Order: sequence, then structure tokens, then C-alpha cells
Amino acid sequence: MDIGYLDIVVAPWRSLRNRCVRCENFNYLSNKFDFRSRLLIVMLLFFLLAPILLFAQSIKPENPIQFKIKNAGITVDGTISDWEIMVDFDSKKLDQSSIRGKANPESIQTGIKLRDKHLHGREYFHIQKFPFISLESKSFQSKGKNTFVGIFELQIRDVKREVEIPFTLSQTGKQQKFKGEFVIDRLDFGLGERSLVLSDEVRVIIEF
Amino acid sequence: MKIKKWLSKLPLWLYACLVLPILAFGLSKQGTPYFSVLDIPRIWTDEAMKDWELPNSNPAFSAKPVSEEFYYNLPERVIYKTYPVYHPDHEPEGYWEWLHEQEAEVVFDESKLVTEEDWIKAGELLFDYPIDTLGAVINTQHVRNPDFYSSIGMPLTPEGIMPFAQWVVAGKGKVYLGNLSCAMCHTRVMEDDSLLKGAQGNWPGDKAFAFALESDGVSERGVQGITNILFGSPFVEGDPHGKLLASGRESILEAFKAVPEGAFGRQGTSILYPPQAPNLIGVKDRKYLDHGGLGQHRNLEDMMRYIAMNQALDFLNFYGEYNSLGLTKERLNNGEAIIFPGTHDRHSDAQLYAIAKYVYALTPPENPNKPSILSERGKIIFAEQGCVTCHTPPLFTNNKLTPADGFEVPEEHYDKYDIFDISVGTDPGYTMHTRRGTGYYKVPSLLGVWYRGPFLHDASLAKLEDLFDPARLRDDYVPTGFKPHDVKTKAVKGHEFGMELNEGDREALVAYLLTL
Repeated sequence: MDIGYLDIVVAPWRSLRNRCVRCENFNYLSNKFDFRSRLLIVMLLFFLLAPILLFAQSIKPENPIQFKIKNAGITVDGTISDWEIMVDFDSKKLDQSSIRGKANPESIQTGIKLRDKHLHGREYFHIQKFPFISLESKSFQSKGKNTFVGIFELQIRDVKREVEIPFTLSQTGKQQKFKGEFVIDRLDFGLGERSLVLSDEVRVIIEF
Repeated sequence: MKIKKWLSKLPLWLYACLVLPILAFGLSKQGTPYFSVLDIPRIWTDEAMKDWELPNSNPAFSAKPVSEEFYYNLPERVIYKTYPVYHPDHEPEGYWEWLHEQEAEVVFDESKLVTEEDWIKAGELLFDYPIDTLGAVINTQHVRNPDFYSSIGMPLTPEGIMPFAQWVVAGKGKVYLGNLSCAMCHTRVMEDDSLLKGAQGNWPGDKAFAFALESDGVSERGVQGITNILFGSPFVEGDPHGKLLASGRESILEAFKAVPEGAFGRQGTSILYPPQAPNLIGVKDRKYLDHGGLGQHRNLEDMMRYIAMNQALDFLNFYGEYNSLGLTKERLNNGEAIIFPGTHDRHSDAQLYAIAKYVYALTPPENPNKPSILSERGKIIFAEQGCVTCHTPPLFTNNKLTPADGFEVPEEHYDKYDIFDISVGTDPGYTMHTRRGTGYYKVPSLLGVWYRGPFLHDASLAKLEDLFDPARLRDDYVPTGFKPHDVKTKAVKGHEFGMELNEGDREALVAYLLTL
């Protein structure tokens, strides 16, 4: 039997069936479904995945993640510049919306290179063991026009905690701009130790 | 049952009266231990000595101290009354003869020590007490020679006293020059001629030793021998001290002379990487002792251990199979005394306890540098520049150990010690190439920098301002403090903070540091 284009899409295993013993299982399955059924499955899969494929695009925002922390009474401004985010957000379908982000703590900058290097170390981000910080939405709530609160799971090092992030959305056509701000306790995530001069609270500002 | 019934009938106020004496004694401010006998800790136990010190940067050669049995078999030191050493031109008339007329007077008697103050006072006496009368560094001939003082620029008090050594009278006519007291390295003659005990001392010890070796006409072999005993560490990479020995008598003497006041090549360290004499004022709050953090300091017992070890008992340590006195383990343990400064006797635990109490009680003098508008600006710069991360108030140290360049922190150290896992890039020589080297430097406290100097662990910078001078990073820089004997210029690398500050900010930062 010839292998047509649709077959490659609908039953790619068929083209491989003679190359692999395990393909016998697939052959069995493929024989179970007729062409219409297979087409239906493909359509279903397409509609399920389409929103993600079309809308949940991974973007590398221009603005770095900003954070502020008080050290000896002085506010230290820091950034994490290497990060990306996947957004599928519809203010009318909050329960189907999602925001996921990933940041590379190696790109942290606080204005003092040696301090940055220290933050890479095991006392703080321990980048050799934990190369990413991740953020994943769990749910959203509307708090008024273009104002929302999201519950996110934030993972820093090996600690996962839920954080509540209030954020705003400004939409121009298809372009969405988000801005959120939240506070974490660095000790909750094993970042450093209790200090007489360094505040436990870190204010994080995310804009994309 | 009858008694119980009878007791239950007694009024409550009577029970309260029974408690009153306890309350009264408990609230007494005399510090008298009414209900407990002072428990002097036994500090040199095999168990405690096992992991009190950090391993050497090359762990196969970590120090192995003498056993508990060996230690407690050493005779306890008898502490005699001591007398000041004058510059010969300032000695009161007839003083020398008068000294020889004195009888020995034993001045430490623990049975008479009751209050905390008693122990501290006795501790001061022991702090000043030389443990050596064999001439470990200098002897009678040297200090009776006026050239000794002029040739090495010996600091003196206004009375002409050289406060780094004492006369020990061990009997009528038995007047010995005493070396190796704590005070020798930790006493400073201040700019206003006052004496500050416990501070980073300004005893020019290595210059004095060079004078002694030269004036005594010690042979090349003799100079090599004693230098090896002090600093030999053939197990370290490149064996720099072996090379120093091979460079010959004159070169070795120049190396001794190159060590400035405020640094001292004590045993196990180096004159190639001499350690700054540590400031003991505030040492109670520090977690590690020695620039490399060799001794853990978790409690008073650790301080006592450190004193015992550092008053020359580390000459008996084995580093692998190496011992700098040339001892074998058989010779060490054959029961015969090892007659070398500090190795044939020991302080009693009570004596160590008293010294530790005194050291803990040291307080800084009043700082003449009062806060000003300039220093307040410096305070902000101090925070902005991130200095607070390591030099964290109120101790102005985070009490951690930083690995030196070239040292990889072993995984197990993270749980055992306080590691600040970043090198500030200062000279790794001391901690990588000496018997006392651990691979780390401890983060120093900045308290009292106004009465201290030279700065950095190797005393390479004379003034605080030099630390912020970008020129120090260049190879054509002439170090203002310690400069190795065999170079004309040398970059003083590392700790490159505040280098980009403008002159005004730098001035403000220094003004702030001087108020600490």
C-alpha cells in the first residue's frame, strides 16, 4: 500500500512498521481504527493542542526580572536578565489560561560582580545544582478591569511554594502586556541565612 | 502520714522563708560560686583534639597533635613574678643589680581565685608571662645592647620599657629574659605612647630575630636549621620554604628583616607569607582563630586549646610523617623531655582558663574618631558597596571562611564549617603553603581598624587608604606594608572592593571605617 501524506500524519507508524518489531503493536492498533476514526482523533488532537501551539508562545522578554532587597538599610536593585515565559492568557477564560516562566539565576546582576558570584553559590541559588527558577500558574482570579491575581507555583532551588501574584494586563490588539509584583521570603526558599542586615523579604517585579 | 499531715498545716509564708536564702545567694553580684565548685574544663582530650582544628589545605598532612596522655604528663608551668625590660639607656640606676637580689615569687595560685575578676586579673598576669627563658627569639645579651633597639626601630613606652619581653626571676641571681608571652605579639605601643594590650601588636619580632642571629654569628647551617624548624613544610606544593633555605644565610636573614611590625612569622606560618598579628580585642565573638581559621572557636574550651597549642606545643605536631623538630614518633613518645621552647612543659588547665577569661574580657580603648557628616556618608557607601555582606555589623565580620584561590572546598566542609564560598583573591600563599594553612582565610572583623595596621592577612598594606588604591593591583606597585625580601615591586591583589570610588567617597568610607 502506498503511503500518502495523510497517512504520514494520521499513522506515521505505518511507514515504519517494517523497520521495527515493536511496530507490530502499532499495526494492531492501526488496524483497529478505520480512516474516519483516525481522522477524528487527529482533529480532536489538533483542537486540543491548537490553543497551545498558536497562543502559548515562548517569549524572551526585553525587560529583566527586577528584584529589590534591603541590605543594611540600603535598597539593593538586582535583575535576572535571562528568562522566558509562555503565556496563554484570555481574560474571559481565566480557567483555561496559563502562564509559565523559567529564569536562569546565572544572569543575576546586583552591581557588584563578586556578590553576583556569591549568589550563584550554594548558599543562594546554587546554580550548578539548580540551574532554573520556574513559575507556573495554578489559577487566576479577576479583581477588576485588567487587574488579576494569579496563584503560581514558584520553584527556587528545590523548594516549591505557592505565591499569590497580583498583576495588571494592558492589551492593544493582540499584544498583551503584563506587570506583576510580589514579595517572597528568601529564607522560605533556602536563599542565604538569617541576617542582621539583609532583609528576608525580596520584592520581585515582573514585566513582559 | 502524720508528718505529711503536720507539714500540710504549716503556713505558706514559712515555705517562702525557706526559699529566701537561695534567692539571696542567687542574686548576689559577688560572683562567688556558693553552690558550685568552679569546673575547670580538661581541654586536651583525644576526643576533643581530633577535629578541633581544620584540616590542612593538603589534608594528608593535617596536624596530628600529641596525645592526651603525653600532654598531661608534661609538668605544669610555675608562674614567677616578672619585671619590665628597659632600654639600657632608660634603666633606673641600680635596677639590674636590684633584679639579681630578688627572690623568686610564685604569683599564680588558683586556690586564691574566687571571683570572675580574680580569674581575669590572674589571666592578665599569665598573658604577660613568657613561657620561654631559653632565648627562643632574643636573649639577655641582645636586650642589654642599645644597638638592638636602634637597628630594628623597637617601639618603647615613654619610660623606655620594651613591653614585648620580661625579666623572669626564678631565684636570687637567676634573672632570665623571657620570650613568647601572649603579650609579645599582642601588645601595641600606640602613637600616643600608651600601651594597648590585646591589640595587633607592633613587636618587630622577625627583625629582632634577624638581629639575634646576626649578632650571635649563627652559621648558615644554624640559620637554615632554625628557619626550617619554624616554617619547614616540605609537603606543600613547590616547597617554597625549602627554596628559601637553599637560598642561603643572607637571603634568609633578609627574609626575616622584611617582615614589618604588626606581622610575625610565628611557628608553622611563614616569613614568605607572614601573618598579620591578630587583634585579640573582641576575639570572644569570632568563630575561628588564626588567619586561616585553623582553630574552631565554639566556646571557652576552644580558646584554651588554642592558647595551649599556640604557645609552641605545635612544634610537636606531626604532619603526615613530618615533624619540624626532626622528631620521630618513637622519640616523641619515649618518655624523655623534649627541651625546646614551649615543648617541655605546659600551662595547667586553670592557667589556660584564666588567660582565656582575660582575653575574653579585653575591651577596646575609646575611639577618638567620632562619627561625622563625612563618616555618615561613608556608612552609606559601606552599605552600597556591599561591604556589609562579609563585614556584617555589629561584629563587622560574618565570621565565615572564604576559600583562597586554588583551594577547592571539600563537600563535607559545607556542613562542618561556616563557608562563604567565594574567594576574594588575596594572596593564597599563607593558607596554601604553610603548616597552618587550611585553604581558607577567615573574614576579618573591621572593629578597631583605627588602632590597627598593617592590613590584610599578610600585612602588605600599611594604611586603610592603600586598600582602595587601584595602583596596588599593578605589578609595579611597591607594597606599603610587607614586601617580600626578594622583589622590588609586587601587586597586592584581591579584595578589589571600593576601587572605583572617587576620591571623596573613598575618603568618606575610610572616615567611617575609622569610627568602628
